[in-house]
Amino acid sequence: MLVVLLTLVGVYFMTISRRDFLRVTGIALGAAAIPSWVYSADLTSNPLPDFDKNKLADAALSSAKKLGASYADIRISKYRIESVSAREREIQAVAKGQNYGFGVRVLFKGTWGFAASPLVNEKEVERVTREAVDIAKANSAFQTKPITLVDAPKVSGNWKSSFKRDPFDVPIDEKIEFLLKLNEAALGVKGVSFVNSSMSWVNEQKFLATTDGTRVEQYLIRGVPSFSVTAIDRAKGDFQTRNSLAQGKGAGWEYTTEYDWLGEAKRAGEEAVGKLTAKPIVPGEYDLVLHPSHLFLTIHESVGHSTELDRALLWEANYAGTSFLTPDKTNKLQFGSKIVNFFADRTQENGLATTGWDDEGVPGQKWDLVKDGKFVGWQTTRSLAPLIGEKSSRGCLHADSWNSVPFPRMPNVSLAPAAKDVSADELISDVKNGIMIFGRGSYSIDQQRYNFQFGGQTFWEIKNGKITGMLRDVAYQSRTTDFWNACDALGGKSTYELPGTFSDGKGQPGQSSAVSHGCPVTRFRKINVLNTAAD
Amino acid sequence: MLLTEQEAKKITDKILSFVKADDAQVSLRNVKQSHLRFAANAFLTSGNTVERSANITVWTKGKRGSSSTTDFDDASLKAMVEEAEKIAAISPVDPQYLPTLGQQKYRDSNGYAEATANISLDARAKKIGGILKESIKDNVISAGFHEAEATAGAQATKNGNFNFEKDTDASLSMTVRTADGQSSGYFGRSHFDINKLDTERIAREAIRKAIEGQNAKSIEPGIYNVILEPQAVADLLGGISGEFDARRAEEGRSAFSSLGGKTKLGEKIFDERINIYSDPWNAEIPASPSAQAGIPAEKIYLVKNGVLENLIYSRFWAKRENAEPTPGPVNTIIESSGKASAMDAMMQNSNEKTLLISRFWYIRTTDPRTASVTGLTRDGVWLIEKGKIAYPVKNLRFNQSIIQMLASGNVEMIGKPERLSGGTLLPALKLKEFNFTSQSEAV
Repeated sequence: MLVVLLTLVGVYFMTISRRDFLRVTGIALGAAAIPSWVYSADLTSNPLPDFDKNKLADAALSSAKKLGASYADIRISKYRIESVSAREREIQAVAKGQNYGFGVRVLFKGTWGFAASPLVNEKEVERVTREAVDIAKANSAFQTKPITLVDAPKVSGNWKSSFKRDPFDVPIDEKIEFLLKLNEAALGVKGVSFVNSSMSWVNEQKFLATTDGTRVEQYLIRGVPSFSVTAIDRAKGDFQTRNSLAQGKGAGWEYTTEYDWLGEAKRAGEEAVGKLTAKPIVPGEYDLVLHPSHLFLTIHESVGHSTELDRALLWEANYAGTSFLTPDKTNKLQFGSKIVNFFADRTQENGLATTGWDDEGVPGQKWDLVKDGKFVGWQTTRSLAPLIGEKSSRGCLHADSWNSVPFPRMPNVSLAPAAKDVSADELISDVKNGIMIFGRGSYSIDQQRYNFQFGGQTFWEIKNGKITGMLRDVAYQSRTTDFWNACDALGGKSTYELPGTFSDGKGQPGQSSAVSHGCPVTRFRKINVLNTAAD
Repeated sequence: MLLTEQEAKKITDKILSFVKADDAQVSLRNVKQSHLRFAANAFLTSGNTVERSANITVWTKGKRGSSSTTDFDDASLKAMVEEAEKIAAISPVDPQYLPTLGQQKYRDSNGYAEATANISLDARAKKIGGILKESIKDNVISAGFHEAEATAGAQATKNGNFNFEKDTDASLSMTVRTADGQSSGYFGRSHFDINKLDTERIAREAIRKAIEGQNAKSIEPGIYNVILEPQAVADLLGGISGEFDARRAEEGRSAFSSLGGKTKLGEKIFDERINIYSDPWNAEIPASPSAQAGIPAEKIYLVKNGVLENLIYSRFWAKRENAEPTPGPVNTIIESSGKASAMDAMMQNSNEKTLLISRFWYIRTTDPRTASVTGLTRDGVWLIEKGKIAYPVKNLRFNQSIIQMLASGNVEMIGKPERLSGGTLLPALKLKEFNFTSQSEAV
């Protein structure tokens, strides 16, 4: 509970109002696991309802222009979610939901205004557009730095994310069966006390029209099965958990069969029990060999967030924070060792942040953030690009709902594997005194993305080139540039995976987004490791 | 316009009239929100949104199904009920099912202000415009978030319960950085009545902290005496009520578990002056008069005079363990049994080296058995020597057990509680030992 609780407090601390108290403290029962979307009863149809979206778009965009807006866009979106959760041999909750509406964004005298409504009709579209202009107008009287946009190509078309079987076409009983089997696999291990498992599936159907003439429609699917196994030693008053290593993916139902979930559940049971008697880590300096199921989150926090230009320009100063990177460090700062190459990619197959276009019509693209260890590129939007003299946007604008203001969000940010195929065993063989870490554990990083501490799910002692046994209570502390400069070897393509996180919190009001981070098994020299139980 | 009680009753009655299942619980929610975000001394984004939803949970032969809708016309409400009944039909029996409540009595907590529900766009723009002007004049860079929202909610059951409530919340938080990027200050407050939200104090405090935090020195990590301002206490303990779950404690996986399947209920766990409680009718942070599953909320202590007084029993777990379901918590109040200490007194009583902490950031659990957490200081830390502020210091990472932090002997002084966001009313705390483990250059 504390893990979940403090996670939420960390993400939402300034946006919690009284109505959210029960949700945030985790006291609310039942279907509390679903995002705070608004649902609609029409749970079966796939395409947006049968009316003329273009007519509504015309109404919004022409009235925005008439009211004096220099730019406007309208998003009409439908979001569907399905989630099932189970504990031990019981189903805890089955929930289906849908959330549908539109949001209008206008730029008036260099000032944004936004309004949204769940009533999708022409009269309401006109009222909401007026409201958005009224807000922008009121604020524009005191605006100090007018916002400008770089041009974007006029585009039109349809785009679908990559999936084989639409999870929304899979009957609920198949989902229930999957979770109960998963739990059974873990409960079959002697010493396992509790198993919680769940799966969530999300479908976004988004229509966007802008005053630049762009009109695009997208259909996205993503999913995240996950579980947590607990072993308890009541005599000693000790308990240990082992969460799933597999993460969310931009994929369909095939993810439940293409990955060995049952095998991992059994292994998780064995490892949860193993953690009870594992050797406590002796604090000190160790070489680390990090598995993608762990390293993706370190990349997310230290590279993904530090290269967001809105953070560097202080737009997030009041919440998520700023960045130790600033525009004057572009092409100068040695971010990591020479073998370190990070790329941003909104075209990567199965990436959670892979899109056809962003929420202002800029096509998905791939570009370098860190090249041969040097920091070279930023994540931008149409209003951020001009602030560093760039002529086009990298396409990073995104809203998590029709009623959220779109703002800069992270693309998939990945670490390129070694050119020649290097195995995990080869990386381990050259370590005298080290630790191999799997899985996403407790993590914390400062508001400029510099000092961090990361735990994991399982920790394995490496002695003289061989894994010798299990460790517990491990976390490492480092600083972003020290850490990436200590990277001395990368695994090859065969060790590369693309894990991702389903809920990255940022912005005010708080929004959540999903993003993936590809990486190979990777080695770091002499990193400071502490014992989290001893502190 | 927010839903009125009459409109809500009409809708819940209609939904219940469509129910064929044995039992049902219905809830409605309608939220109006208006926000303004500013950064780098300019207006960033600003918007108004409306949300509404109806939600139903039904039980047929003990099997549960849930569904929801955003459309309140008859056909959509009916479709929602049918969807929930369909899900129930294919679901296994819900072992946690208990019949829904009959009519309960609720006492209004008066947390609604019309001025918050209908804010003036021009007045807000002028107020924030004034803050930007002041920031530019003071040569600092401000970012902040102003939000006003109104919520109407209703719940009803097939067994005859009905409750309607509405509330509002207005807040402003601000982060101010000096032009050289070497110092940062933060301040934020909330109130249900926007006319009582002191935006000038918030701006003044955030700017003051940024200016007074300049030329910060590095100090060695280690164990320090600390004074935590109410915001820092909120960052660390704002969600503490959620930790008191009875089931987790009895299952041996909480910081309140004892050896051999027992709990620490009735034991002294914290300093004897510490009280942690929930009170829906507190005038500063009025909260919902309805607790879990519609049970009328009551004032309840989780910790009284340092003793673990109550664990939170859900209706299901209470029945299983032969206990009463807990009528809360609906907010979190931490208060001293003794006299509250003023901030000045806390500083004057700091003889050893003491750190004054404004705020914490990115707090994560490292060991749930001892409620151990890690995180960093942010937006203002000062070293106090001989009872006075000596100089600002750079940020630090900490690794600290919450249980040890509040233990008898470690709590030196407790301040007067203040309203912070998240339904909390929390005091400043002066603590004897707090464990910092590394330096952080972040500003």
